[in-house]
Amino acid sequence: MSGALKRFRVMAIIAGVMSLLLWFVDLPVVYLLNNDDWKSMVAWIPFVHGWIYAAYVLTALQFATKARWSLKKTVWLILAGTLPIASFAAERRVVRQYS
Amino acid sequence: MTQKSSFLTKLGQIVAVLLATALFVCLGLWQLQRAADLKESLKVATAVDMNVVPLESITSPRQAIPPSALNRTVSITGKYIANFKAANQKDGNGVIQDWESALLQVGDSSAILVVRGLWSERLLNTDIAQSMNIQVEGLLVASQDGDRARNLPGEISRLDSAVVVALTDLDLFDGYVVATSEATRTESLERTRVVPEKLQSRIPGFYWQHLSYVVIWWLMAAVVVFLPFYRRRVST
Repeated sequence: MSGALKRFRVMAIIAGVMSLLLWFVDLPVVYLLNNDDWKSMVAWIPFVHGWIYAAYVLTALQFATKARWSLKKTVWLILAGTLPIASFAAERRVVRQYS
Repeated sequence: MTQKSSFLTKLGQIVAVLLATALFVCLGLWQLQRAADLKESLKVATAVDMNVVPLESITSPRQAIPPSALNRTVSITGKYIANFKAANQKDGNGVIQDWESALLQVGDSSAILVVRGLWSERLLNTDIAQSMNIQVEGLLVASQDGDRARNLPGEISRLDSAVVVALTDLDLFDGYVVATSEATRTESLERTRVVPEKLQSRIPGFYWQHLSYVVIWWLMAAVVVFLPFYRRRVST
């Protein structure tokens, strides 16, 4: 359980940072600014975010299974990785409950 | 009754797992198709066919350019009916300059945008009257989809027939031609020509990026299949 918790915490923080980059750097550059050089400079963000989020989902599923969470709670935990801040909040909540 | 509801719950779970798996597999297949499309479009987009063909033989006005017509060297005969400054255009060497573009009337009822050269050289060949027939050869490329400047009188924000459609009753061709030569019946018009932007695919993203998403989606499908067994193993 503690291994699954540690893995989830690490991935929640990394996924949170990647979500912040995606929402507040990549998306404004791609959709609001018209600069091809900047677009190519941030092109790595969605790509890395996709892989980080997949790893986050795996760790969230393992943690939720070991903690015997309900399906509904597990889905919320998985969705938390898609929004900036939400994965940080989920990580804090899990730490408060299980540490 | 309990047995029946337990059976229905199990059945519901199996259906949910199958649906989720099918969804992830389909998303993987979609990314695989995008990767294949990208590879195919790169083949078309980066190959310049140097054989000169008449414009009307490969595309028509008021319709999107067929992929097979992109990056073909075309010849057109017509007369210039309007000139525009296309500001902040980046050429194939990455140099940003203002270009001179013009609307070339082809036949009686159609027209196409032509990049003639640099805006700073627009006063060359002033003896060319707008009613004079000009033979143009150049590369037919796709319309630009992002503004480089503002639309002002005599100035267009991007090289796209959509931005000049209100200025003419003629049927416009999609895309534009980057002229490599212009000639009247008696002489060739000499000026610095623009080097077209490097050819690239119009499908966003990269080939390996799509393939990596295939891996992610199919990994998710495998996780959904494996999860019920993992839950059972953890609970025992």
